[in-house]
Amino acid sequence: MSYYDIDSILTDAEKIPCTFQLDIPDLGYLDNTPKQPLKAGTKVNLPLWLAEMLVIANTGGPDNKTFVTFDLPRALGNDVVQALKADPRAVPLRDQSAHFYGLATHMMDLSEEQELGSVLRKTFVTRAAEISLHARKVGGVSTKGKGKEEGSNLGIGGAGEEFLRGLDEWERKLFRKAHDGAKSGKEWMDSIKKN
Amino acid sequence: MALPLPLGLTHSEVAFVAEMELVTVVPRQRLESIDLLSGKTPPLRPPHRADLPLWLALLLKKQRRANIVPPPWLHPASLADIVHRETKVHPHAFSEPMPTASRARQSQPGYAGRIGGGDSSEVILSPPFRSNCTSAAPAGYLPYHWLEVAEALITHASDDLGGNTSEIRGLLRDLVEVRAAKMRDSAETLGAEGQGGVVSLRGVGAMELAENRGFVLGVVDGVRKIGGAVETARREKEEEMDLGGGDGGRGGYGGDGDSDDDMGI
Repeated sequence: MSYYDIDSILTDAEKIPCTFQLDIPDLGYLDNTPKQPLKAGTKVNLPLWLAEMLVIANTGGPDNKTFVTFDLPRALGNDVVQALKADPRAVPLRDQSAHFYGLATHMMDLSEEQELGSVLRKTFVTRAAEISLHARKVGGVSTKGKGKEEGSNLGIGGAGEEFLRGLDEWERKLFRKAHDGAKSGKEWMDSIKKN
Repeated sequence: MALPLPLGLTHSEVAFVAEMELVTVVPRQRLESIDLLSGKTPPLRPPHRADLPLWLALLLKKQRRANIVPPPWLHPASLADIVHRETKVHPHAFSEPMPTASRARQSQPGYAGRIGGGDSSEVILSPPFRSNCTSAAPAGYLPYHWLEVAEALITHASDDLGGNTSEIRGLLRDLVEVRAAKMRDSAETLGAEGQGGVVSLRGVGAMELAENRGFVLGVVDGVRKIGGAVETARREKEEEMDLGGGDGGRGGYGGDGDSDDDMGI
């Protein structure tokens, strides 16, 4: 993960719900009450980079409280996790968050959710197999005499497209890699037939 | 950064490397030995077979100076056997790679040893230099460069294949599809708990590797990142336990050793 990695920067900008643990003066505008202190217990959505710092650091007071506590964002909420357990392929991850896995791994670093890890892992590989299947079939249109096969094997127009639209950034990269491999394979096959 | 090169060899590079494979030819004309960078070619005397690199064989074939003897594994019966094995007998594993050349040991009757195994004067040959595509290769196994050599022979030497090119082509197509499907499924076994994320790529050809390298590495990398948080937590716990037990000597290696056990190797 490089410093200039756009995806990692965008992942850091994802909002996660946080609850402030103490009163903070002059921050009331975060909760639409300017000119008043931000009350303890207020819920505010903070970007990940900020929340991370505030969760890790503590106030240094006698009770060693942290500034904020956080909940899992809605993209990783119970509903989504249950749906992923039921059928990973049916959930459009991009609707939850464009950087779903990046966000999830960040959150797993912060909170110790054992179950989330295994669910995500299963989700990722199940969807990866599906991605590879689509990547092989999509875009090989130029080969002659194959049109029939492509049309019948997978509903590219229907379910396939729907699935591909629901890929998050990691999965898009994976799709691109798988597709590049399949494409250059086809190009090579065609090239030997020409010479 | 602007144009990152793809990892590993591209398809055309793999095909180029595959042209180094030796194939058997039946020459039609005499040709003296040529002193090539890779060594001397055998002198060609018309009725006698000789092993030449694929590129030279194809060149002579195009000039009608030689006929290529197809390797035994390219025979339709052999290919059909492999397809059968890949689909019915071992539906989840790639078929075995070609066995290393071996011969009976004279000192121990009833035993066979790998050629070059004990004797230091003989060299163990790795795929491009082993005669996997000559007429002496065993049938029923796929060599490392099976797809490239097969495609080259079908395209340029189809009349030497015994006239059933379309059958061979169909069987090859089947094999490609079956093995591609296995490659996809191998991604799924990565996620199975307890399997620990190991995909066996034994017997996979060079061209298939070139095609799937990006995808498989992407999946492995993703699984690693997802498992990273859990893994660090586990390691920390283990290290604490190690230290608590008074056995500080194992240090960080304890985690590594255990994860190898999990992989079930």
